[in-house]
Amino acid sequence: MNSMDSTKGKIGLKELVALILLDVGTKVADDTPHTFYEAFGTAAWIGILLIGLITLIPILLLTKLIKLYQDKNLIDIILHLFGKYIGFVVLFILWIMQVFANISNSAIYTDIIGTMYFNRTPVVVIYVVLVAVAAYGAKKGVEYIGSSAWVILFWVILSLLVVLGVTFVQGEFTYIFPILGTGGWEIVKGSYNHSSLLTDFLYFGFIASNVKNVSIFNKGIWIGFSIVLLSFLLALIGYVMLFDYYGVRMFDYPYHETIRYIEIGFLTNVELLFFPFWLISSFIRFSFYLYLSALLFGALFKIKHFEYIVPALAALTMLVGLIPESAIFSMNRLRVIFLNVIAPVFLLLPCLLWITAKLKGDFKK
Amino acid sequence: MPILSGCWDQTSIEERAYVVAIGLDKSKSGNENQIQVTYLLANPEFSKKEAMTNEPPMEMITFDTNDLIVGKNKANTVIAKEISFNLLSVILVSEEFAKDKNFIRWMYDTTKEREIKRNTPVIVTKEETSIFFKQNHPKLESRIHKYYDYTLKYGSEAGMIPNSESNLGKYYRTTQADASLYLAIYGTSEKSNYSRSNEEDSLMAGEMKFGGETNKVQFMGSAVFKEGKMIGKLTGEETRATVLLNNTLKMGAILATYKDPFDERYRITAKLLKKEKTDVKMDLKNPMPTIDVIIPIYLDILTQHSMIDYANDAPKRERLKQSIEEEITDTFNALIKKTQEEFKGEPFGWATLARKQFLTIKEFEDYDWMKTYPEIDVNIKVKVNIGNFGNQSEVPDLEEMRD
Repeated sequence: MNSMDSTKGKIGLKELVALILLDVGTKVADDTPHTFYEAFGTAAWIGILLIGLITLIPILLLTKLIKLYQDKNLIDIILHLFGKYIGFVVLFILWIMQVFANISNSAIYTDIIGTMYFNRTPVVVIYVVLVAVAAYGAKKGVEYIGSSAWVILFWVILSLLVVLGVTFVQGEFTYIFPILGTGGWEIVKGSYNHSSLLTDFLYFGFIASNVKNVSIFNKGIWIGFSIVLLSFLLALIGYVMLFDYYGVRMFDYPYHETIRYIEIGFLTNVELLFFPFWLISSFIRFSFYLYLSALLFGALFKIKHFEYIVPALAALTMLVGLIPESAIFSMNRLRVIFLNVIAPVFLLLPCLLWITAKLKGDFKK
Repeated sequence: MPILSGCWDQTSIEERAYVVAIGLDKSKSGNENQIQVTYLLANPEFSKKEAMTNEPPMEMITFDTNDLIVGKNKANTVIAKEISFNLLSVILVSEEFAKDKNFIRWMYDTTKEREIKRNTPVIVTKEETSIFFKQNHPKLESRIHKYYDYTLKYGSEAGMIPNSESNLGKYYRTTQADASLYLAIYGTSEKSNYSRSNEEDSLMAGEMKFGGETNKVQFMGSAVFKEGKMIGKLTGEETRATVLLNNTLKMGAILATYKDPFDERYRITAKLLKKEKTDVKMDLKNPMPTIDVIIPIYLDILTQHSMIDYANDAPKRERLKQSIEEEITDTFNALIKKTQEEFKGEPFGWATLARKQFLTIKEFEDYDWMKTYPEIDVNIKVKVNIGNFGNQSEVPDLEEMRD
């Protein structure tokens, strides 16, 4: 790959954007929409717009910080600004959050694959395969994940566009009404609570030093941000148009229900066509998550070659994830609480960092 | 991951018995928790066009069970292969079962079964589904799932049955929304002795009398569901009127007959097209809420037994237009009355249009469309546009000819 020679293992704009899109964008196809519809009703699409608005400031501050401290990633910045001890605590909290996200997400994805597609395969087997592939990707490093992301991005976007297109054609626009869904105040509250949807953008700060240069990083973040918001917007509108708020509320996984419901001409079981693309983007997502948790762990405990922790973390994730009996319910509830708790962390951290940098006078140098 | 699919979830096609139709009836045993399930299994050898086989095209099995999912295992005591719903093309329920207040519990089983898709059509049969299956022998179509596909498709083009609405997914949606009524296709294999008027279309399935050597099964009209339970029926003509009023139901070109204003002995056949959406305006904030509906209809006049020269005579055409408009409006008004008085709900999908008038879901649910609808004043206006007069627009003047 040509990115290997000249850039010495750094990822470029394409890879970064692909990574962002596949990482955050895949959330459109799991149970995240379900939590949205619970909170916002028919106004789920307004919810995502508000979330975008709320998260604009934290992400903006993040990009400013990255620009200020060139060649450093978020870990270094946190340690620099907050000092060794507070920095350690902050990083530890972030690491715990990541591990928890890993566990709950992998459990949910295993559930999706099990219930929707492979009914009889034992859950353990699915989990093992998922985690094994993720571990392999994570161990290879972020450049590898990034290039894989770029390679399949085209196909994933294509399949998503087809699905959305068919949804809009076969759906009823009037199902969007009543337009404010659960009501004005509920929407605002819900947006705040669900803003942790975009926490991943904070974590992208950790690989800032792996990107070719800062302006590419910032550009990548903004491009990824807008496209992710757009795809969420369209998907949320699409699901309601096809199934109506009353129907979609009952679904655990609207995306998978959609690809089973739609018909493309004479092809009736099109879900099999879209499933592989979703699967691959999920692999990329988990690879990245595992990489991040290994990275953070390495930073916390001063381990240079943190790639070797990956298998251990992977095994840990899987074992803990297998514990709860019925993933969809226990995980879902836990996840909602978790998401609500993270929201302030995600929103405030960049602000705190930025204020500290200002106070330290780093911006004037 | 694709490799995994070959391990546990693998079953080869030959090892599967594909159920193409499921019939659900009330159990005759008197046990409240049981239903009678009929599986109609297709013979895969018939899917190849040049199949020369002596085997029958389908096999049927009927038995009592708790629900149609556990029934899969029960059926395996008799059927040699593993039961699969992957090619299910239709679900039939008997009228008796559909009217049961517990009917909805069994319907929701289908959401849990992975192999049953949400776009499976639902048909209500007048008699028990096991009898219906036994008597359904389409002569020109031995592949039973194709038979259902075609019949439902062409029947709904004529607007006699509400096809695009009548599937599982819409059943769930409409039931959960609890604002509009759900329509399912109505069919039967038994001839009815009940004879209504001599007009063409105000018939239900079973009432159309025909002879010759053909299948006994008819699909005409709809079964009306409120909150998951069947509460009544609509005739073929009423179903057609519903399709015209409901913008989400699709129809092709409908052939219908109308009174000829100049000669009461004869009727005119016209081809009806709906080229534009029905315009529905609602005023719900008023203490006396109203709905104004304007239905644009395009007619091509196809037969005129009265032999009157409509093509060239403008005032006569005007008169014809008015007469048809009146007749159609009367049909609609009778239908609205029926929905408001008998059903106390509307199957036109107007609830979703009403939602535009409310800002939040709570406001809409407080308004309770299902309860307020019967009190609303509905005004229907029909706008008829006459297109062409068939292939040959002029017909000879009989009197002149027979002098």
